[in-house]
Amino acid sequence: MQQFAALLRKDNQPVRYLVVDDSVFARKNIIKMIEMFGGEVAGEAGDGLTAIAEFNRTKPDIVLMDITMPQMEGIEAVERIVRQHGDARIVMVSSVGYQENILAALQKGAKHFVQKPVKPEVLYEILRYVLGDDPNAAGAHVALAGEHRA
Amino acid sequence: MSQSPEDRNPELRAIFFESSNELLQSLNEAGLELEVRPADEEVIRRVRRAVHTLKGDSAACGFHKLSELAHELEDVLTSQVAQKYGSRFAEVVLAAADSFEAMLAAYQRGAELPSLDKLHSLIRSLLVDSTPVVETPEAPAAVPASFAWTEYEQLMISEAVHRGETVYNVALRVDPDSLMRAAAFQLIRNVLHSSGTLIALRPEDNLAAANVEIVEAALASVQPEDALRQRCHIPSIVSDVRVERATSAQTLDHELLGDLLDAQAAQVVANTAERSDTSDTARAAQANSAVATVVESTLRVDASRIDAVMNLVGELIIGKSMLHRALTEFDQRHARDPVRAKLTEALGFQSRVLDELHKCVLKIRMVPVEQLFRRFPRVVRDVAKQCGKDVALDVSGQNTDLDKTILDSLGEPLMHLVRNAVDHGIEPADERLTAGKPARGTVYLNAYHQGTQVVIEVRDDGRGIDSAHVRQQAVKQGVVKAEEAARLTEQEALNLIFESGFSTATEVTEVSGRGVGMDVVRSVLDRLKGTVHISTQRARGTTFQLRAPLTLASIQALLFRVGGRLFAVPLSSVLEISRIHDQEIHRIDQREVLQLRDQILTLVRLEHLSRLRSIDTEPAKKKHFVIVIGTAEKRFGLVVDSMVGEEELVIKALPSDIVSSDLVSGASILGDGTVVLILNVPAVLSRLSRAVPLGAIA
Repeated sequence: MQQFAALLRKDNQPVRYLVVDDSVFARKNIIKMIEMFGGEVAGEAGDGLTAIAEFNRTKPDIVLMDITMPQMEGIEAVERIVRQHGDARIVMVSSVGYQENILAALQKGAKHFVQKPVKPEVLYEILRYVLGDDPNAAGAHVALAGEHRA
Repeated sequence: MSQSPEDRNPELRAIFFESSNELLQSLNEAGLELEVRPADEEVIRRVRRAVHTLKGDSAACGFHKLSELAHELEDVLTSQVAQKYGSRFAEVVLAAADSFEAMLAAYQRGAELPSLDKLHSLIRSLLVDSTPVVETPEAPAAVPASFAWTEYEQLMISEAVHRGETVYNVALRVDPDSLMRAAAFQLIRNVLHSSGTLIALRPEDNLAAANVEIVEAALASVQPEDALRQRCHIPSIVSDVRVERATSAQTLDHELLGDLLDAQAAQVVANTAERSDTSDTARAAQANSAVATVVESTLRVDASRIDAVMNLVGELIIGKSMLHRALTEFDQRHARDPVRAKLTEALGFQSRVLDELHKCVLKIRMVPVEQLFRRFPRVVRDVAKQCGKDVALDVSGQNTDLDKTILDSLGEPLMHLVRNAVDHGIEPADERLTAGKPARGTVYLNAYHQGTQVVIEVRDDGRGIDSAHVRQQAVKQGVVKAEEAARLTEQEALNLIFESGFSTATEVTEVSGRGVGMDVVRSVLDRLKGTVHISTQRARGTTFQLRAPLTLASIQALLFRVGGRLFAVPLSSVLEISRIHDQEIHRIDQREVLQLRDQILTLVRLEHLSRLRSIDTEPAKKKHFVIVIGTAEKRFGLVVDSMVGEEELVIKALPSDIVSSDLVSGASILGDGTVVLILNVPAVLSRLSRAVPLGAIA
């Protein structure tokens, strides 16, 4: 098993994650990695609607979001979450072959994406990068990206 | 670490010796090229790659001396050093190749290693002189970039500088392993946007980004250079970053718009004068190269604008069929009216022009498949090298046009097919020689039009796919059950390779065998309403034939009615239409099936699939039409009430809040205002396969 230095928030608390995927197996897999990174699972959701509710309830530092899910797809969930919380940090998790969906999610304000099967070392680097982002700059970025589309 | 080289896997070492010969070969070639063209960036990159591979491979085999030497070389082989030393650089490359060769020979024979003093001192001489350059972590030339901004962009840059902002030229190398280029580009764009004001960006849109390796941008930012560089180092997306301040040399001399306009006006005058008099004025104009205007015959247009035009043309086509309908009615009522002939003529003229317009608009979106193909020589070369094989790529049909959107979607599937062809298809040289084939394998890429479809073929002259092996592996990996596997036809067995999670590779290699990939081929083609067909011959090779529509904007469709409602399927997926009697329908495992000649066909009724309420009051008929529909690898029969005919439909996307069913992929409007729903064939199939085992869908 690989060893990772714990990823912590600026206040030295564990990073809190919301894991969204309709496959229980995929969620467990991600959660295992999160735990390897010293993180804490704030919530889990199996569809987009629950994800939004869980986000509002738990206010996680990072959301790991699957693209294809029942009820509400990941992209729509991203859009709604970012609309309410401009500083949300959402990382899309998806198989190759859903490039257009990832593109759409990025345009809606997702911060990064990682390909399934997720490799811990890749996810680790991505999380570190996304966490390093200045939240204020992140808010500005969403507005800019929207402006650019229009 | 403590293992001596002899303890290592001898097989691995054999592979290493074989592949390192190729590396040496390319080092030698590169050295020779550098003697002719010193500081050629592409060649230097090739050298670095070769040395880098050698470093990694030799370390893996336990040849530490060799690995250390490669490491040392890697540090000095930069383009700055090359620029500084010219031919001496080439000399080092060639000397290194010789030393490597001698070392390899010594390792192979187990003899004493040759002395490396001479090479070491050569390396050191370069290293000492160039230390200041080499020490910078991101040597500026590591990412080649031209920062060739347009006049307008240069003006924006100089104005920003004038306002006291810091403008950076940023070049990012997209991680070569990134499969999703367009998404990667979007992410880069997001990050740049969030880091400041983006003044210029190359490429400009996501579509163009699919084939691009380097992203260049001009960015006005308040962030310090280091922070910016760190931010741009997006993990798994960007492999190399170059950030430099846009200096005054790069910005225009004219800092204000007025100056620039004056200069341009002067140049226009100069150019006009040039025509009549080619003396001093012409030279003056040439000197003013910063604002030299290039006559451009190509135009960059936002794709959404073209889509808007496309949409309007679609509306016109609907309008045309409305007129036709009205004319038919008019015909019936006033058969002798002389106006009739005039109307018919006018309408005929209008529809000819409209057809032409439609074709023209479609053509705007068309790009030659060459844009897609041109990345493959490198891919084949790289993969072949990784696998230690000798593989040539033969490309034809580069000028075949197809819709840009489709072209971009095909990049990923093609990449997988080509990599697989080299890695799995082509046999190692010795195996090929024993089979009486030339040692060098060939992968063929070909594209051509057929009707309203474009066909792209990936063919190899390798060992072919053993369907028995595929069955075996599929059962072992739990993709199908053993008894199902036995029931499959040859073609269906081959199609198992497209199942998610399937892999024939007995060992996972760097290149393929991870079980992801081939299912991408199918999912992309399903989405494009295309098909993929495999044909293979033992020891002769395999051909993958991808078929996709030429455009996504309109389709040739077959219209039919079920329960009084109008539906359409893409004509390209219709294999045949048959008329059957009620008695011919049999039930097996709660499925309706039909024996059509020597094949068993599963029947699908739309009313069952979608709880469609019938708006038809007619009693159930005894005779039915069956439309036989085939997709990538399966076929089924659709039972319909009546056939309506064939028509070119302009596809309108449906907002997801109106249609909740995935069974419908789009809609179209006919001339009389009737809405036709276009059936999503792959979705129907996937519903079917969820309800029954795979093999039952024959």
